[in-house]
Amino acid sequence: MTNTTNRRSFLKGATTGVGVGLVGAMGLYSYSSARKSHFPNVERKMADIGVCKSVKVVNVSETSWFENATLMGDIKGAGGLLVNQYDYNWPPFGNGKGLGKGSYKDGIAQIKHLLPNRLEEAWEIITKNSVHPENAGGFAAVIEVEEMDGRKRKFLLDSGWSYKWMDECFKREGIDKMLQNKEIEALLISHEHFDHYWGIPVTFKYNPEITVYIPEGFYPEGLQYIKDAGHKGKVITVKNGLHKYIPGMASYVFPIPIICRVYGEQSLYFNVAGKGLVSVTGCCHQGIIQFAETAIREIKYEKDKFHGIYGGLHISPFDDWDPKYDDLVFSLRDYGFEKIGCNHCTGVICAKKFIAAGYPVIQGTARHRSKDVAYLGNGDTIAFA
Amino acid sequence: MERFGIGFLEERKLVKRWSGPVPALVSLALLLAVFYATWWIFQDPRGLLRMYTPYVGYMYCRWWLIMMIWMVYIFDFWPFKRQWLETAHPLVKGVVLTAVSVLILMVLIKGFFEGLLGNFGLAYFNPSQLEKLPGVTSFFAVEYASLAILMFAAIASWLSPAWVVAVENSPWEKLAQPVRGLTILLVTFFLSTLVYFLTMHSHMGILYYPWQYFTSIAPPYWESFADTVSGNFHISWIMCCTVVVWLVETIWQRYPFVLIRNDWARRAATFFGIIAIAVAVHFFLYFAQELAWGEAIRGTRRDFAPDWRWLHVGEMAIFFLVPALFLNFYCGNWPRKYSMPVNAAVRTLISLAAAVALYIVYYKTSHLFLGTQKGLSHPQQFPMIPTIWLVNLMLVHHWFMDNWPAWKLQTRTAAEISEEHAAKVARLEWERPSGKYGLGLGVGAAIGVALYFVVVQILPSAANAVAIQ
Repeated sequence: MTNTTNRRSFLKGATTGVGVGLVGAMGLYSYSSARKSHFPNVERKMADIGVCKSVKVVNVSETSWFENATLMGDIKGAGGLLVNQYDYNWPPFGNGKGLGKGSYKDGIAQIKHLLPNRLEEAWEIITKNSVHPENAGGFAAVIEVEEMDGRKRKFLLDSGWSYKWMDECFKREGIDKMLQNKEIEALLISHEHFDHYWGIPVTFKYNPEITVYIPEGFYPEGLQYIKDAGHKGKVITVKNGLHKYIPGMASYVFPIPIICRVYGEQSLYFNVAGKGLVSVTGCCHQGIIQFAETAIREIKYEKDKFHGIYGGLHISPFDDWDPKYDDLVFSLRDYGFEKIGCNHCTGVICAKKFIAAGYPVIQGTARHRSKDVAYLGNGDTIAFA
Repeated sequence: MERFGIGFLEERKLVKRWSGPVPALVSLALLLAVFYATWWIFQDPRGLLRMYTPYVGYMYCRWWLIMMIWMVYIFDFWPFKRQWLETAHPLVKGVVLTAVSVLILMVLIKGFFEGLLGNFGLAYFNPSQLEKLPGVTSFFAVEYASLAILMFAAIASWLSPAWVVAVENSPWEKLAQPVRGLTILLVTFFLSTLVYFLTMHSHMGILYYPWQYFTSIAPPYWESFADTVSGNFHISWIMCCTVVVWLVETIWQRYPFVLIRNDWARRAATFFGIIAIAVAVHFFLYFAQELAWGEAIRGTRRDFAPDWRWLHVGEMAIFFLVPALFLNFYCGNWPRKYSMPVNAAVRTLISLAAAVALYIVYYKTSHLFLGTQKGLSHPQQFPMIPTIWLVNLMLVHHWFMDNWPAWKLQTRTAAEISEEHAAKVARLEWERPSGKYGLGLGVGAAIGVALYFVVVQILPSAANAVAIQ
């Protein structure tokens, strides 16, 4: 055998060997416990967000829509969960052209002149032009933070969807007066979804100068809507990451894509003296465990302990299920929350699974069209103190 | 005796109409144009049919791929006659064969899965049956049924071609069509059903509230190993099997398994070798995500969740398949001048580099034209849909249309075919291990292991530099 042939054979063997070595190492090492030695130790940043004495949340409305089958029928008919929310032809942006053929521009043109004060007239027009206006509800909550010196400060988290429903809810809980009296100092929008955001004219009707905080990532229609809805105050875009509001209260904006063409969500942390961390969320599309893990990584909180949860946890918003949600049900225990006030997009199925798993779920009263006592319903309150 | 399309793909001679890279570039431009037009018509959430709901479009996309594999690889184009395959205009062939593939697709989905299985066996295959159950909306009835049928597709997309590529149609290779095709179809479908029940049925069993303890193992057996109860763990390795089958068949030219002389040893080594390589890729791509983004956290959502990461392994693997097929279909499986292992290694490197580039370009720009959202972690967006859609179009173009218009089909004479066969046999003899092959293998294996750890070291900073959000 000549040298050339030997060299060629060696090269053929070596090339094959590289593949064998690579595949072998990939198969034997990549999922072995030894791989964990490659993971860096993540240092906790321990950002100081201050501390507050207590937090109370009034659930103004958690019923974003009343009939799940109707909403899902609309979503199915319009082309599924990835369709732009402004295209569904839902209220208030109905243009009379039918399901899946809506647009922000056409819709707002019909009601803009009536916003924010003549909402009843606007809703009449909306009712004629939109798909299933009777099914629209909304999500909103008032958060009362007691500072360490006893001063109480109020914030409105989200402004719901239906003008009609949200106005009724605001009146029922006295939010209209709180807004008029400027007791509520800011409107915090968790994300751009229809059921959290499209009801902003109802807030502006009672206080058009209110400062609005939106998370980074709004689409042009959403940004324009604040102006078209008659807002006259400051709009502050909260950048991705940690944002401190007042001592003991901060938000974290997650740059995440969300169904129905929405981007970014802002969720709230409260550091309650002697208790621990409380999370208040609109929908928590980033996932409650991701939110908790972000807190561990980013901020310092009392007793280094998670105390409570309020809000939607976006697990089975449409009464759907997936095995991965069971992963969450199993794993939430590891975080030791002492008080879970979930509702809205958490889903009744999930709340029942939480209860069955023995979690400290605060049950509700199922009033004002909330459907189940398994979670906190409309008009219910929860306090973390 | 009528041969239908037996050996048609290997025996046809595709001649470039223009020299250099022009035919490949023209084909690429054509493919992308057809991709975008059909994407708009069928899948785009802003388009006409909006099948990207997401699972409806996903399911049809996956099964269409398998229909073409059945037609071409298992049935050898039966009942289309050889003369028609060789003489009909590629456009006519493209339209007719595509129409047939879609017809079979509809019969399979509507007739077999939804109609037969869904109505008389397992309710979760049929949206109407699901809708009768309390709390299941029309939308999710369709999505759940599509998901179940889709999970079956993942398995069939691996096993259907594997029987042809790895097992070489044995022991039925001497049967005439359609008997051979029907036999292999039944065998692979039976195996797919078996694997489905072992890997996916428990996922479907816990998809509903309460868990269906009486009909499925719940929680599933893989829970602690995979760190999730989701069947995405299995989707991951099965998708890797699908991709590896095609790598073996195209850019690796079945090397090194093709060197084994004993027929059954070669077939067994190829079949199980594909699984072994796929499982290695499956573990590595999961580890790569841990290195790039941090350790997965069970119970969280999106890109930090184990179930998302397992699925993403399959998605990354498909990104690898696209350039590999392009290299084989449109670039003459370049390079061809070296030994088989060197050719395969160079093609693998090219495909890998192109896959990484495609992955980055997809995540950086696809939201600008696919009607999707920017970002990596959308729980309802699956890059496998556009990538498999593109693969489907490549298959239509290459298998059904002979790469028209940039190539033209010429029929080889019997002498040419025989000459080529002899050259192939001689080439295989030349490729067989001899002399210092064994030493090279050992040295290469050591280099391969070292290379693996180098990649592991640089992956975190490389991922950080790209920073896909």
